[in-house]
Formats: sequence, C-alpha cells, structure tokens
Amino acid sequence: MANIIVMVIILTIVVAAIAKIVIEKRKGVKCVGCPYSQTGDSNCSCNDSR
Amino acid sequence: MKVALTGNPNSGKTTLFNAITGKIERVGNWAGVTIEKKEGKVKKSLNKGNTSITAVDLPGAYSMSPFTSEENVTSDFVKNENPDIIINIVDATNLSRSLFFATQLLELGIPVVVALNKSDLNKKKGIAINVEALSQRLGCSVVETISTDGNHNGLEELISTAIEIKGKRQKAPFDSSAVDMADKSAIEASDRKRFEFVKSIVSEVENRKVSSNRQTKQDAIDRVLAHKWFGIPIFAVVMWAVFSISQTHLGPLLADTLVGWIDGFYGWAEGLLGEGVSPVLSSILLDGIIGGVGAVIGFLPLIMVLFFLLALLEDCGYMARVAAVMDRFFKRVGLSGKSIIPIIIGTGCAIPGIMATRTIKNERQRRTTAMLTPFIPCGAKLPVIALFAGVFFNDAAWVGTTMYFVGIAFIILGALIVVRITGEKNAKSFFIMELPEYRFPSIKRATISMFSRAKAFIIKAGTIILLCNAVVQLMQTFNWQFQVVTEGAADASILASIASPFAILLIPLGFGVWQLAAAAITGFIAKENVVGTLAVVYSITNFINTEELALVEGASDVASVMGLSSVAALAYLMFNLFTPPCFAAIGAMNSEMENKKWLWSGIAFQFATGYVASFITYQIGTLLTTGAFGSGFLPGFIVVAVIVVYVAYLMRRGDKRATEKLALSI
Repeated sequence: MANIIVMVIILTIVVAAIAKIVIEKRKGVKCVGCPYSQTGDSNCSCNDSR
Repeated sequence: MKVALTGNPNSGKTTLFNAITGKIERVGNWAGVTIEKKEGKVKKSLNKGNTSITAVDLPGAYSMSPFTSEENVTSDFVKNENPDIIINIVDATNLSRSLFFATQLLELGIPVVVALNKSDLNKKKGIAINVEALSQRLGCSVVETISTDGNHNGLEELISTAIEIKGKRQKAPFDSSAVDMADKSAIEASDRKRFEFVKSIVSEVENRKVSSNRQTKQDAIDRVLAHKWFGIPIFAVVMWAVFSISQTHLGPLLADTLVGWIDGFYGWAEGLLGEGVSPVLSSILLDGIIGGVGAVIGFLPLIMVLFFLLALLEDCGYMARVAAVMDRFFKRVGLSGKSIIPIIIGTGCAIPGIMATRTIKNERQRRTTAMLTPFIPCGAKLPVIALFAGVFFNDAAWVGTTMYFVGIAFIILGALIVVRITGEKNAKSFFIMELPEYRFPSIKRATISMFSRAKAFIIKAGTIILLCNAVVQLMQTFNWQFQVVTEGAADASILASIASPFAILLIPLGFGVWQLAAAAITGFIAKENVVGTLAVVYSITNFINTEELALVEGASDVASVMGLSSVAALAYLMFNLFTPPCFAAIGAMNSEMENKKWLWSGIAFQFATGYVASFITYQIGTLLTTGAFGSGFLPGFIVVAVIVVYVAYLMRRGDKRATEKLALSI
C-alpha cells in the first residue's frame, strides 16, 4: 500500500511538471519559466526598454 | 479601444505601460533593447470610461523611417494596425530630439496625446516647459507625466484625455505629404525643415536655466567610469564586488537558511517513507526529486542577490557606460557596439539576449552576436559557478568574475575569428548610443527584477530540472535488462553505459568519468541540470549544508566524492560554461541567424571553444601544479591542433577574399 501511495505521489509530481511545460510551450514560451521569453505576434518578445 | 504607446528609446514607455496596465514587463535604463510589441488592458482605476482600453507598448523609434527591425515594428503598427489613439511618450529632458518623431506621428491623422514624461527630472534640472504653448504648437493635448511615481503621476489625466479625443481628426503642425518619398534629397531637405520647425517650437516653449553645453557632474563621473583605459578595470572591480557579495558573503548566508529548510523537508519525507517503501521508489522521490531539485534550489539566494545587484547597476545607468567602454574593442573585431546590449541581457538568460540581436542591422554582425552571446554566463550557469567556486576554490569571488571576463574574451576572440573567416576584416562599423543619465537606482525595480528571476528559477527547477533528475535517477538505478543495479555497481547502469563513451572524449580535459559526462550532457537541456545531476549521481543532497558538505567548510568532502583536482574542476566549469548553451537557446540562435550553415558553424565553434579552453586549463594547470601534463595529453593535443589548424586555414582563406575585395573596390 505504501508503495502505491509513493508511486502515485511521484506520478502526480511528474505529470504536473510535464503539464506545466506543455502549457508554457503552448503559450509560446521558449524557455520555461523565463519571464522574458514569451512569443508575441511574430517572435519572442523578450525585452523592453523604458 | 486600442492605444499605441510610442516614443524615442529610453523615454519611459515600458515604465508607463507597466504603470497603466499593472504588468511587470522588463524595463532597462538604456536605449534600444525593446524588440517587440506588448499588449495589456488599462487598469480600471485609471480608465473611468465604459470601454475597455488595450495599451500596446511599442519598441522605441527615432523616426517613422524604419532603420532597424524594431523601429519597423513601431512604424508598421501605427501605419497598418489602425490604433484609435497614439500616446506619444516624450522625454521632457530631451524635448528637441523627441519632437522630431512626434511631428511625424501627428501627420498620420490618428489622434495623438503627448505624455511629457520624466517631468520631475526637468524640475530638478531647472528646465521649464510651457505645456499649454506646446499643446497649441503641436495641435494636440499634452499631459505631464511621471511614470515612476506611484501617486501624482498624471496617468489618470493621460488616459481620460485619450478617451476624450477618440474619433477626432488630428491636424498636423508640419506637413510633409507633398514630399516624394522616392527622392532621397527631397526627404533630407524635408527632414532639415522639420528640425528647424522643432527647434522653433522648443525655443518658444522651453526655458533652460542651465546651458546644455556646461560640464555637469554626470560628465565628470563619465570621464572616470567610461574612461578609455580605466573603464575596464573599474568594470572588473564592480563585477568582483557583485560576485563577492552574492557568492561569498550575503548569498551563502541566506542559502544556508534555505538549505536548512530543504534538509528538514528531506528528513521529514525520509522519516515518513520509513523502511516499508521500495528502495527504488524511495530513491526516486528522495534522491532524484527532492535531493536533485533541492540541490539546485539551494543556490536560489545567491542568484537572487546577484540579479538584484545587476538590476541596480543597470538601473543607475552604469551598464550603458560598460557598453560604451566595450564598443572600442568590439569595433576592432568587426562587431557593432550594439552587440554589447544582447550580451548584457544574456547575463540574465541567453534566450532574450540572442533575441535582442535583431536590433543589429548588419547580417554578419547580428549572426556573430547571436553565436557569441551564450559565452557570457547566464543565470542558469550561476549555480554551476557557485558550486565549483564553493567546493574547489573556497567560495572565491574571483572565480565568477574571471568566468565573466573569460566569456568576454571569448566573445572578442570569436568575433575576430568570424570577421576574418567571412572575409570582412576591412568592414567598418559605427555605433551611436545614447547614454542615459545616472540616477539613484530604484530598489522597487531591482526587487521586481530579482523576484521575476527567482520565480523563473523555481519554475524551471520544478519542471525541467525535476523531470531530468527523475529520469537520471531511474537511468542510474536500472541496467538495460531493467534490473536494479546493485550498490557499488553503478557502472553497469543505463546512465553509465550512455555517458561512458562521451567520458572517453573528456579524459584529456581531466574529467573523463561517466558521472561528470552525464552531468555535462544533461546540462544541454538546462544548465542548472549540471548541479542537479551531480547531486543525483553522487548522492549529495545539497552542496551548501555547513554541517556536512558545505560550500565552505567541508567542501573537500564534496571534492573528494567527485574525485577532481582543482585544476580539473576549473576545466570542467569552463567546459560547461563555454560549450553550446541549452537547447532552447540553440533554438533562439536558429531563429535569429536564419541560416543553417551559420547555426551549425556556431555550435561547432562553441564546442571547439569549450573543448580547447578546458584542455588548455587542465593540461597547463596540471603541468604547473604537478610538473607533468595530465592524462590523455597526446590525443587531446592532436584534437586541439586539428581544430586550431582548421580555424587558421579558414581565416587565411577569408583574408585572401578580403584582400581581393579591397583590391576590387580601389
């Protein structure tokens, strides 16, 4: 039983990580997590000057 | 309703955009880093009307005639996407330059509101602008704004003015519609007239108490910080101080607390699992996921402190001076001074750095910069630097500082090689950069920058790094028959069998063991993986615990577990820093280079640089410390010699082409 619970925990963590990567990639983020690597209309809009 | 935010570079567009939309897009105290448009809804607290307003932040432009690709974005948007209103952000401290672009926008017929931004700085400088007179001369509304001020910033008035003028026809105070756009001299004559017109407006509405040609304190500071000879040593000292604070003093202090929590969590999870759980599952969860991710997360405080300090340097205007200082060297090796902007951005993450190369018009310079930007250590490489500096060099700040300067040296050397291979060594490059004024750096902006980087780091650790560590742990646990490898027989694991052939190639570099090869390979997925994989393969739960395997005390334990000499460790660090970046950054290189030959040549060049640098470091270092060359010297020397001879041949061939080109042009 303990093994099943641990396996479920591991799978949940792994699936959540994969889901996050897939969601970010669908949003057009080139580098997962990077706040400045999201794609705009044409390409990556990474930096903005003031 | 769609509102376009336009203006000259560094006029405060993104700060204003952030203030009216509540977004936290990146801002930088220099010109020319905006490369794409961004959209956001105007906050309800500012928008008193019923219609929803979408603000579009556009890259800075000096004129409507597109010169660089990001100016193209701006002129294309205002001409073709029919914004309802244009908010033209004018730098109040530099009215004459800003109005050239403003008068061009007024000719489009789209209602324009001028946001006279940075008006607080004007007051400090003793410059007064007659807003009403300016509004009358331009034929549009003018609102004074201070986008950095949270309260009395004029933004509510700006938005309400924008709503009021929607649908109204805009009159142009200066009309150039009759000018033949195919006739260059006619355009130039029209531009001269426009300058005269702008000058007449400025002389009428602006009252300067201080003559602009008088030497100021800013000029005095520039004479030192941007000095031809002192500029570089000053930059070295500044970077050393940054690394010293972030990697030696404050960073490890904060990291110690965080690692204590991670250790506590590890112990709690270990206790919870107890003896009844399968050792395989237990090791995947504890060593692979919690231990591997924890080892990477342990470096978070060091990275946060470093990015906070870098943000302060950028915000106060110092980094723009570094660009000016480096321009002299870059020009000599055929790069544009503009190349320094992607490189500085690359200190955060190589991807936006590579993307920023699109501001460089010259194709060779753009591709070369995209190829060389990853040599500057990015945020993902910092844990690797911190780990090796801590474990093998007693947390010395010189390690990180040296890696930055070695990165810059490789960029200069690489540019020199590329300009000669491409046969363009006689090409001239010019760079005019507007230096922002020095100012007291904003703690708020630096904190935002720091937390956005921290968030990125945590997300990456919880996704890519976590998955990689879990996979590495599985590959290390099983052999190809999917049987659990017995303790002490890890060499029979799937991971060992995949990494071992690569390890052979690394023998001349001083780290030819499968564990280090595996960590270097996973580093191509994300550079933080090097730390995570080392933690997994050597079963080290953290690298910063002051009681066990400390970054300072007890570091020799980690060093002995890895079985590396200090020289080999330095070579391994250089290999990880100066071989190709992560796959995502290679994808960015592909997008910006738009040429497969350049891309593959770039990757090969990065591999060659990393390999040669590591070989020289290890072999020379070993010779100096032990009196004899290290293992695998001869095969390594042959490989390095072949690389050097081939590059020399390509350079000679390029030189011949350059000479022929020059002869033809004379």
